Amino acid sequence: MNLKKSRSVGASSPLNGLGKQDAESRKKRKMAEITQALSMTPVDVGALRRMAISEGGLLTDEIRCKVWPRLLNVPVGSILEELDKVERENNKDYNQVLLDVQRSLRRFPPGMPDEQREGLQEELIDIILWVLQKNPQLHYYQGYHDIVVTFLLVLGERLATALVEKLSTHHLRDFMDPTMDNTKHILNYLMPIIERVNPEVYDFMQQAEVGTIFALSWLITWFGHVLSDFRHVVRLYDFFLACHPLMPIYFAAVIVLYREEEVLDCECDMAMLHHLLSQIPQDLPYETLISRAGDLFVQFPPSELAKEAAQQRSQQTAASTFKDFELASAQQRPDSVLRQRRKEQQQQAPVEAQRGTMAVVQPTARRFVRLAVMGLTVALGAAALAVVNSALEWAPKFDLLFP
Amino acid sequence: MAKQYDVLFRLLLLGDSGVGKTCLLCRFTDNEFHPSHISTIGVDFKMKTLEIDGIKVRIQIWDTAGQERYQTITKQYYRRAQGIFLVYDITSERSFQHIMKWASDVDEYAPDKVQKILVGNKSDEEQKRQVATAQGNKLAKAYGMDFFETSAFTNHNITESFTRLAELVLQANKKDLDVLRVSINDKLNLAALEEEEGVCDSSSDAQKTCWC
Repeated sequence: MNLKKSRSVGASSPLNGLGKQDAESRKKRKMAEITQALSMTPVDVGALRRMAISEGGLLTDEIRCKVWPRLLNVPVGSILEELDKVERENNKDYNQVLLDVQRSLRRFPPGMPDEQREGLQEELIDIILWVLQKNPQLHYYQGYHDIVVTFLLVLGERLATALVEKLSTHHLRDFMDPTMDNTKHILNYLMPIIERVNPEVYDFMQQAEVGTIFALSWLITWFGHVLSDFRHVVRLYDFFLACHPLMPIYFAAVIVLYREEEVLDCECDMAMLHHLLSQIPQDLPYETLISRAGDLFVQFPPSELAKEAAQQRSQQTAASTFKDFELASAQQRPDSVLRQRRKEQQQQAPVEAQRGTMAVVQPTARRFVRLAVMGLTVALGAAALAVVNSALEWAPKFDLLFP
Repeated sequence: MAKQYDVLFRLLLLGDSGVGKTCLLCRFTDNEFHPSHISTIGVDFKMKTLEIDGIKVRIQIWDTAGQERYQTITKQYYRRAQGIFLVYDITSERSFQHIMKWASDVDEYAPDKVQKILVGNKSDEEQKRQVATAQGNKLAKAYGMDFFETSAFTNHNITESFTRLAELVLQANKKDLDVLRVSINDKLNLAALEEEEGVCDSSSDAQKTCWC
């Protein structure tokens, strides 16, 4: 697979060269499909996941208000009308939260009147403190506010609170430990992905000893801290909400790989490379990168990378502890897809393999969800578990890895 | 490839969240002040070249997240530093008290030769002051550090404090400096000299300099 920037132009979007009208009619069709999936009894969550991942994501905030709760398996009926009063002054995290929320102006729409923004900032503080108060096992981190503000702006206070609580006890759970050890460990998945796709870039980065801290804020804010266009942020949130909690790491890898030429042209120096990689380009071809991240997830699932990730930090060998695909198979049997995929990989060119797998997974797939049907479907199956299992089942098992 | 400087070294900004580390840096390198700066997540740096005693000194100033939990990450950068700013906010007694903890972490993780100065920021906010100038002076003296009260907002003592730390680092590396004076044409990288010599294969691109 070649993720080189210069060669990506033609593949940047299946919409290239097609008329605006066609895009518009596709959008309409997708909206109708989403509406239909929502109206089924029970709601067709699998279809909603596909919609969240496939091109354009969930399209509008109105749809997100309906679909995001489904992706996180939060029953809308269970959402509280009134939140309990939040004790601000006695909260150990209040000062830090206040400092960060006061410095979050950039996250609000530019034209928003001060008064309205200030009201939202108060709500933002309340949501954060409410979740922390209700879940004493969770610890605030700088950057958490970047996630919460995204939910607040899309969903409003009531719905945002319910979804953020769920997300915090699942996808974000590892970031909210008392220490950042698990966060650091998750970052260790980045280099093994890069190594497999582009050894040259990997070697260069290793030689520069750049580390992975440049991707820290990407991971723990789901890119909310670094992307200036809110539409891109919510598009990525559609994707991440529908996928495995480690998907942001695959997306980070895809960004680095996309910048191959810049990386290799950089001075082979820790500081310079860290600086280059930290500055995320604002004009990324998001749809292409999303589908690549999905592909990489399937080709190199977390369970395959777990051992190397552990070795990034210590030379200890450890058994793969991610049970993602075993678990996922209960949903959509992607393990068989994977086995087939690996077999085919040995014999055929990747493109052919992809086609072959696609036929197995979804023979009637529409063209516009083609982007990584195979990748997506597996991710979907795995993702479904994110909301039905406790976060620890997703977390790197430190007691096993580092006894 | 000719370098625009004679020596390069790394400084590090440490201190509690919200004391104004990023603002100090932006004022120094870009002469800008944003009252509502965003929180720093992780670490990053800015660069500026100063001329001290006829030597072009390129300084790379690393800015860090202040929240305590980030220290496990920022500590990795201590060992690369030749100079450290310990920053507190004169309107926050708490941030001043924490200087002791920051200083002991520096003792533990930074190189022995590292130079430190104490900075009390937000000196323009006199009406909200919680830490007297004398307290800052006293603490700095106890640690044998220089002390500046600064304001990134009014640009008070910004250049002075950064230049002072740069001078201290230069002095501390006097031996290397003398080598530099003897052969000013031999470009020297203090930062690289101090680190373990790593051999880099730059044969793939002869133009690339490699300091890793």
